[in-house]
Amino acid sequence: MSEQESKGLSRRSFMKGAAATAGAALGSGVITGFPTYWAQASKDITITHVGSIYTTNPTVAEQANKDLGFTIQMQTLDNTTLINRLLTQPETVDVADFGNTSMGYFKNKGILMAIPVSEYKYWDQTVPLFTQGTYADGKPYSMQGYAPIKSQYWADASAQEYSTAPTDWLVGIPVMYNADTLGVRPDLVPHKVESWGDFFNSDFAGKVALQDGVNVGVPDAAVALEAAGLMTYVDKGNMTREEIDKTIDLLIELKRAGHFRSFWTNFDQSVQLMASGEVILQSMFAPAATEVRTRGIACQYLPLKEGSRGWYIFQSAMAHLDSGDKLRRDCVMEYMNWCNSGFNGVYFSRQGFYSSVPDLMKAQMSENDYGYWYEGKPATADIIDPFGKVMEKAGAVRDGGSLWDRMGNVGIWNTLMDEDRYLVRRWQDFMAA
Amino acid sequence: MSSMTMSPRIASWLQATPFTLIMTCLVMVPLAIILAVSFMDYGFAEIIPEFYLGNWTDLFRSSLTVDTYATVFRQLAMVWSITLVLGFTISYYLVFHVRSNMWRAIFLAACAIPFWTSGPIRMISWVPLLGREGLVNQALFGMGLIDQPISWLLYSEFSVILVYVNMLTMAMAGPIANSMAKISPSIIQAARDQGASEWQVIQEVIIPLIKPGIVVGTIFIITAVMGDGFLVRAMSGNQMNTPAVAIMNEINAFQFPPAAAKSVVLLVIVLGMVGLLLRFVDIRKELAR
Amino acid sequence: MGTKRTTSFYVLSFVFAAFLIFLYGPMFCVYLLSFQGPEGGMSFPMRGFSTVWFETLFTAGGRGVGDIHNSFIRSLRLGAIVALLTMLIGLAVGMSFRRRYPGGNFVFYSAIVSMIVPGIFVGFGISLTLNMLGMRPQWWYSGIGAQLTWSLPFAMLIMFIILGRMDKSYEEAATDLGANSFQRFQYVILPLILPGVIGMFMAGFTSSYEEAARAGLNIGTGNTMPMELTGLLGAATTPVMFAVGTLTTLFMFTMVIVTLLASWSLAKRRQLRLTAHHA
Repeated sequence: MSEQESKGLSRRSFMKGAAATAGAALGSGVITGFPTYWAQASKDITITHVGSIYTTNPTVAEQANKDLGFTIQMQTLDNTTLINRLLTQPETVDVADFGNTSMGYFKNKGILMAIPVSEYKYWDQTVPLFTQGTYADGKPYSMQGYAPIKSQYWADASAQEYSTAPTDWLVGIPVMYNADTLGVRPDLVPHKVESWGDFFNSDFAGKVALQDGVNVGVPDAAVALEAAGLMTYVDKGNMTREEIDKTIDLLIELKRAGHFRSFWTNFDQSVQLMASGEVILQSMFAPAATEVRTRGIACQYLPLKEGSRGWYIFQSAMAHLDSGDKLRRDCVMEYMNWCNSGFNGVYFSRQGFYSSVPDLMKAQMSENDYGYWYEGKPATADIIDPFGKVMEKAGAVRDGGSLWDRMGNVGIWNTLMDEDRYLVRRWQDFMAA
Repeated sequence: MSSMTMSPRIASWLQATPFTLIMTCLVMVPLAIILAVSFMDYGFAEIIPEFYLGNWTDLFRSSLTVDTYATVFRQLAMVWSITLVLGFTISYYLVFHVRSNMWRAIFLAACAIPFWTSGPIRMISWVPLLGREGLVNQALFGMGLIDQPISWLLYSEFSVILVYVNMLTMAMAGPIANSMAKISPSIIQAARDQGASEWQVIQEVIIPLIKPGIVVGTIFIITAVMGDGFLVRAMSGNQMNTPAVAIMNEINAFQFPPAAAKSVVLLVIVLGMVGLLLRFVDIRKELAR
Repeated sequence: MGTKRTTSFYVLSFVFAAFLIFLYGPMFCVYLLSFQGPEGGMSFPMRGFSTVWFETLFTAGGRGVGDIHNSFIRSLRLGAIVALLTMLIGLAVGMSFRRRYPGGNFVFYSAIVSMIVPGIFVGFGISLTLNMLGMRPQWWYSGIGAQLTWSLPFAMLIMFIILGRMDKSYEEAATDLGANSFQRFQYVILPLILPGVIGMFMAGFTSSYEEAARAGLNIGTGNTMPMELTGLLGAATTPVMFAVGTLTTLFMFTMVIVTLLASWSLAKRRQLRLTAHHA
């Protein structure tokens, strides 16, 4: 902790200097080098951070305002509104976060800033999933779908094209990630589920659900179809037109036969489907499975032999900051560094998401919490979420084990396919069928 | 003041100015943009400003258009006929059978209150009611009427229609009740004096006189059902596609040009339906009456 | 109809009661589940009975609460302004339609168009236009403007209905008695259409309170209630949502009663004044 604080302080004093220089350069009339310049000037800065419910919430905003001395204004938006906002009014946003399914939208747009690696101080402590494109042990991971390394680096400072080889410019700072798999109601399934192929097993007809969409639901369906021996793909995360046609035709057939109970659009629906028993096997997000369990309903979230579906959330700064007020830009960088430095990461780690800097979290989480969430150890005491609710009793072990047991076998990543246009068109046919 | 006279035409124009300004700047201009965009090509979350007819050719050639409109017209027909009968019955009861003004106001308020809870919350609340383990199934089970939960209560066309009827009956009943309230009691009394039964009064006197109300109600129903995507998606478990849902899907994928083309078609069709209705009953002439 | 109740009265009473039950069915779930026990979820069964979700709602940073406090206040503020503007502008446009005038068709059909165009397109179009003009969206102009495109058509239709109901002979009598147009409006038309005017206010408020598709992109940096709720659905939600529903209903119920009482007393006072004038 103390080491962390001193780091923060030195960072702060560095920022003071930088800001003062900037102030002089802008000729804003402030006496050059005035030591409290940073603290005084930044007081009036308000940074707008838009993001999902996972990354924007009042508790974190309050802490950030306390720690940083300038104001963070957070706005929770649904993904569609968020991306539309970035596209049509980028200047009304300073910091935004989004996942792999949106990364395809930012190429050649000039909306996002190229973040210099040197300005993010935890890059050398970040898991290699992002920095190198490998697992912790150095083995490369599946490149099917929008794997993190595909959109981690800008090719150059112009922030137009991505580079899969490391450069000095980050597209975004990885905040959280996880691996999703099928959720199961063990009390209601007719037999044990070990493969994605079971999703299309007739034993489950009328009792399964998929995410409604081409970026998560379709890859899940493809993994399941392949596992069931109904399809083969070159790259499930980036299908060809023929593969799309065959996949959709198969899904239409299954839909007509009444195989699907529902398709969910948001987290809450997936929880409701599972908790209410409408569905006994479905693709869902990890915290959704936890949520079902906290309601006293059995829900397993098991690793399957074809691997899991990985996802991540990046936090990006907007390009307009580079050409605007230098002080504001400095505050944004300070804030983005803060986001991974502790409080925020611990907050979401205790809800089941992984931080991109697990070592930093280890230093700041209780041994029991870190052991349960990251190391796959049995809980030595009750696991309490940040709101004080008991999530698991003492002795419980996290589904799927440790961080690298869970993240170490990603079969496919959430995606946005090159043939998105065609896929959406065919998905419409599927929905109409 | 009284000496100040104004030509009625200019008075009307002045009165309509704020409204027209808002509609022009905030509806017609965006609409013109939509029309222009429908003739453009698109990439990943970007509109490519080049003339492109593909959005339109796909629309007129694909079976998707036929399928989605077949679905929405089927739903519209069901929702319209149910809300018409139900809405008529309710307004007839409120206007002609409830005698106390206070009770009428209380009943009307009671009908309106559920609509002041946010849409997302109202939509979630159907699951605990209609789901496999929901209240309805539990009640039926408890009464011994079923031995297996009924699954078509939720995520089916049934649930879509049911929720539409729940949300839109008052939209039909309101205008009808208004038209009914206009009917002078002496007309009805006269019919009764001539020995007409209650049913004959309804058929011969009331129905012809409430046509404007029915038309306004029908306009509400048409625009609500044709324009809604949210309810269909939520209540069908995303298993149904209507023109509005198709538009929503494309907007969610940031594919604006095809969504724009679909919107223009939807708009033309709905405007056509409304225009046709207004040919039979001119509600503005009703006004001048 | 006659003084004695007919069979049809009882049949219809039954139908109406059944309809009310149907209308309140899901709401009943909302009210009941908002008192869910602390361990319970968003569906049945009830796991105990508590007010813990109401308490959570009023403690900042509670589970699944997000920024509901502020978004509720923003929605109220926005709703009140939109309602007031809807009432005034709707009243004006309704009055304009009491005569035929060139351009009337355009005004009428633009309202119909506005009711039909998917809200997101209106919102997106406004947002795009603002962007081209280099203007930043703010709740007090673009947010309100976007919502007016939704509430005004309804106000216009309400005016049609209410003016259509009005007996023109009163007005003619007033003219015969030498009233000018302002006096006619104040003493004859307004009292007659007052319920409709209040109706427009309520319709304006309701449509604003519910609306997100148009305002979403144009509201600026503060979420309204429906936006916040939609955002919250992206993560683990709790019966707090239902507590919000229960409280909203209570709040609205109070609003309706206050409005009704106010309009009654207003109408009564006007009646008294009219009588006084006559005397």
